[in-house]
Amino acid sequence: MKDIMRVKCLISAEVESLLNQQIKKEAQSSAIYLAMASWCDRNGFDGSSTYFFKQAEEERHHQLKFFKYVLDMGGTSISPDITGLKIEYNSFREVFEDALDQEVSVTQSIKSIAARCHKEQDYVTLEFLNWFLKEQREEEYKARRALELFEVIGEEGTGRWQIDKHVGDIKYNSEA
Amino acid sequence: MQIIEAIFPEITLEEVFTTTSGAIYQSDKESCWYIDFAGKVARFDYRSLLKLKKAIYNIDIEALLLKNTKSADLEIVFICACDHCYVLTTLEIIAMKELLQGTFAMLELNHIIQDRLYRLAF
Repeated sequence: MKDIMRVKCLISAEVESLLNQQIKKEAQSSAIYLAMASWCDRNGFDGSSTYFFKQAEEERHHQLKFFKYVLDMGGTSISPDITGLKIEYNSFREVFEDALDQEVSVTQSIKSIAARCHKEQDYVTLEFLNWFLKEQREEEYKARRALELFEVIGEEGTGRWQIDKHVGDIKYNSEA
Repeated sequence: MQIIEAIFPEITLEEVFTTTSGAIYQSDKESCWYIDFAGKVARFDYRSLLKLKKAIYNIDIEALLLKNTKSADLEIVFICACDHCYVLTTLEIIAMKELLQGTFAMLELNHIIQDRLYRLAF
């Protein structure tokens, strides 16, 4: 009997469903960053607003990468609906705390897809995920460094203004 | 299977899975499946079969069984961009789910056999 399922689609139904969940997660991330950019802009933090706009675009790019991959492998990509976004934050610091939380949860989610790929010996998807695992190093580094500015500079006096000014300068240059 | 082969003599079918209430056959030549269930034979291609699986798996059977309203005990399973639709009672849904679960288990098994025996051997 011909293996029609395999001929039509390279990835398994489980991996496809996990990748679709990830598409949703990336879309959610992008929307959250946009909400953060909006909050920062409204509260006079121009530098941070620009930083979050850029992050939102990056997350959208990640989402499309996953989206395209599922289609290329013969699967069905599902365009997700995003609801229930937080639009108000209690403090400038809370925005960055949430941003780091978001990145940690994305890393965790990619790790769990990789674990599934190992189990199924789906090395094709695993190779695709490597780019994202490396990207998460940068994302988490940037989010952590941004939050650390609150400790290094402090929020007193013109502290928040200073933090806002320096957020855009955070770069990750590791060659490793 | 004889009925389908009598209707379509040019098609060679292989049985994928059979239960007392229905059966699913595969046609290698056409890369599709024939589902003999609820009194009719319907042809499903790869996408449609997956959509049927999703539609049936998404039905909350427990909720149907616990429902005590006077509405009819029927579910309409409509699959987008597919020629067929099913109007099934709760018992038929359970039977259909069993048939599909068995079918997908067999297809998975076939995939493993193909991988291990043929793809690695050559």
